[in-house]
Amino acid sequence: MKTLVSAAALLAASLLAIPASAANLVLYTSQPNEDAQATVDGFMAANPDIKVDWVRDGTPKIMAKLQAEIQAGNPVADVLLIADVVTLERLKEDGKLLAYKSPEAANYDAALYDADGYYYSTKLITTGIMYNTSAAMKPTSWKDLAKPEAKGLVTMPSPLASGAALIHAQTLAAVPGLGWDFYKSLADNAAVASGGNGVVLKSVASGEKAYGVVVDYLPIREKAKGAPVEFVFPSEGVSAVTEPVGILASAKNVDAAKKFVDYVLSEKGQEGFLKLGYIPARNGMKLPAAFPARDTIKVLPVNAAEALANTDKDLKTFTDLFGSK
Amino acid sequence: MQGYVRAGSSQPVWLFPFIVSVVLFLSVLPLARLAIVGISAFANGGVMVVLSDPMVWSAVYYTIVTAIIGTIISLVIGCAFAYLLTLTDIPAKGPLSFFFVLPMMIPPQVTALAWVQMSGPSSPLLKALHIAPPMGSPQPLYSVAGIALLYGVQHAPLVYLALRAGLMTLPRDGVEAARLSGASSLRVFRDIILPLSLPGVIAGAAISFVSCTGNFGIPAILGIPASIFTLPTLIFSKFTAFTGRTFGDVALLSAIIALISVAGLAIQDRALRGRDYRVIGLSGATAAFELGGWKLIFTPLLWIVLFFMLAAPFFALVAGALVPAYGVPLTFKTMTFHAFEEILFRQAVTRTAFVNSLSLASGAAVGLLFITVLAAYALTRRKDMLSRVVSSLVEIPYSLPGIVMAVCFILVFAAPIPVLNVTLYGTVWIILIAYFSSFFAVSLKPVVSAFHQLDPALEEAARLSGAGFFRRLKDIIVPLIAPAAGASVILVFLIACNELTISALLWSAGTQTLGVAIYNLDDSGSSDLASALSVLVVFMVVAMMLLLELLAKHLPKGVVPWRS
Repeated sequence: MKTLVSAAALLAASLLAIPASAANLVLYTSQPNEDAQATVDGFMAANPDIKVDWVRDGTPKIMAKLQAEIQAGNPVADVLLIADVVTLERLKEDGKLLAYKSPEAANYDAALYDADGYYYSTKLITTGIMYNTSAAMKPTSWKDLAKPEAKGLVTMPSPLASGAALIHAQTLAAVPGLGWDFYKSLADNAAVASGGNGVVLKSVASGEKAYGVVVDYLPIREKAKGAPVEFVFPSEGVSAVTEPVGILASAKNVDAAKKFVDYVLSEKGQEGFLKLGYIPARNGMKLPAAFPARDTIKVLPVNAAEALANTDKDLKTFTDLFGSK
Repeated sequence: MQGYVRAGSSQPVWLFPFIVSVVLFLSVLPLARLAIVGISAFANGGVMVVLSDPMVWSAVYYTIVTAIIGTIISLVIGCAFAYLLTLTDIPAKGPLSFFFVLPMMIPPQVTALAWVQMSGPSSPLLKALHIAPPMGSPQPLYSVAGIALLYGVQHAPLVYLALRAGLMTLPRDGVEAARLSGASSLRVFRDIILPLSLPGVIAGAAISFVSCTGNFGIPAILGIPASIFTLPTLIFSKFTAFTGRTFGDVALLSAIIALISVAGLAIQDRALRGRDYRVIGLSGATAAFELGGWKLIFTPLLWIVLFFMLAAPFFALVAGALVPAYGVPLTFKTMTFHAFEEILFRQAVTRTAFVNSLSLASGAAVGLLFITVLAAYALTRRKDMLSRVVSSLVEIPYSLPGIVMAVCFILVFAAPIPVLNVTLYGTVWIILIAYFSSFFAVSLKPVVSAFHQLDPALEEAARLSGAGFFRRLKDIIVPLIAPAAGASVILVFLIACNELTISALLWSAGTQTLGVAIYNLDDSGSSDLASALSVLVVFMVVAMMLLLELLAKHLPKGVVPWRS
């Protein structure tokens, strides 16, 4: 009996430990868990008085969570660090973002941030091809994925789960000679699209599939850890997203959010990204090891305004080909 | 003096109205809100949009098909274990029973994750053993059959427990009479035990079916990669692609799940009708059969089944947590504790999830206990129609799939609460309230059975000596029902700790539960981290079950589910 009472008292005591939901700064990000934690750790080391709560999910999913919260009248997030500027451009047009002129912007190419200060690109993430080293064919171009050798062995992230994947599809769809016909030939070759980039990495590295369309840093980093994978920048070029950061107009912790923006744009924050294996967006930064020189990477252009206008149509085209996963 | 004569009037006037209002808030309000949103969707034509979506019908189809096959599998495994462990003299019944019930206590997404790690071309375990299928071969579990198989494994203990409860009360004299008349063991089984235990089998099948239709963890991990959506995962994916119509759509979808569950329960009711066997005579048919030579076949068979249900997936989970990078073969040289290090010491979400799950679970368990002691008192002392209605209202949220309750509470609390102007959506409190609603019945059951065993004379004596209600509660009632109350706390705690379905829809920044953290880690491709966290959760579950096992001898019979 006594033990039961003390057990109950113990449980009641732990009940009091229910965390207050009023944390200092809430970050919604699409970075992988380990990277998000590293970014947050770096920020908290530089700003010990600010505590950060963060949530990680693919860009489309985290935007859905945000929309649900906005509709319920209780948006929790203060600051967003997500895949692409197109998504933030849409939020800006809807009046959901807060303008902030960061002093760090002077070190960035003007094309990499919003002139009014609504969002800032933080890094360059390209999407290319990864393959398992035991795969028979070594792909060098996008079209290789449509070859018979790759039949049933190709996987790619779904634009429903990944912001980078949506931009990638919209970029390739606009390239003469590739276009949606290329995606159709992939679908005919029994390629699958499901989940985010992390799922593609796992699937190819572990040998479930042989070839994957994936963001650069994941396979390059895993290769360094000993995983049997290679990453190639296909001859036609790669698509790119810039993982921008932006503050929500409904932010409850505006000052902390501004400090977060300054931190990720600062030299220190950018070095953190570099260490994780990303190409920093800031001028004069080095490239991560195992990347070819920046000017040899051919980045395919994407028309942001068109991409924004066509998002729903493009998503439908994609899901009609590959299903909605 | 009249209070002594009229049963039920020994309780304070406020007690029953208080219980009724708690039940109205936890059971009636959320379901009424769901009904209103559903009806208004009918009115503005939104229903046609939802019902004309082929995705919805394929989800209904997959929900029913996987649930039926899963129920059949759980019946086969659950019945075999129940008959063998209850009726025969098979050795090591205690450990077998403990291990067999374990899958029920493990979160379903952990089960799914472990089985995925155990099979397919990417299995670290199969690779380490050099028996992995070649590259490009499909993962066999990402299919209807895979989902149904895991439903079967996860819910077989439910069938086992339901059937076992019936078998324990089988009349021994019927079996003995048949024996004396020269009937063979097979004949006794077929003509006496099987018919008499059929209600238990039917009840087990119904519980299993309802649990399958509401399961989220298994179809989320096995079905979504293969585009096989069941209704719970379809609701979840509607939330991850939020539009203005989402609230109305998910209200309709959860109404469909509720209808399927109710249909399952109605079929059970029909099947049970006319099978109301009142058993007289000596009950407790333990070890009615001697296995003799068959022992050599059945004993290893049960342990082999358990090995594939528990040990192999667990080893696969551990292997998945120890690989240094995806695709690197696991050997003693390559294995690394990096994933455990990352989960334990770096990922803030681990701490958040443990703190949230443990405090939500203990908050729900302890908080519910205060309500259930009062509710059980009021409901057992009062035996009128109204108290029966209240009792069944308590049962409804528990028998409905968790995702339905989650949707109900989102609808109730999506908008700020009037007058107070506080929004609960996105806070930890909405999860706690949903837990209160869903697990009220779990908490109530052991306490009610303890009250039934209580002799009212004790309390009446105290009352006659002038002790007030709270004095009687403190000095007489609580000490007597304490063991059952302890069991109620632990059961709710265990279930709430492993819960994913409710919190998957209700979590937000800083309110992730363990279930959500594991699911999100796996969903983002970090299955090594997800595996490491799962291993920790499995250890926690086993520790809590062992604690309950240690408490068992102080508890009334039947409170610890897997003990006889």
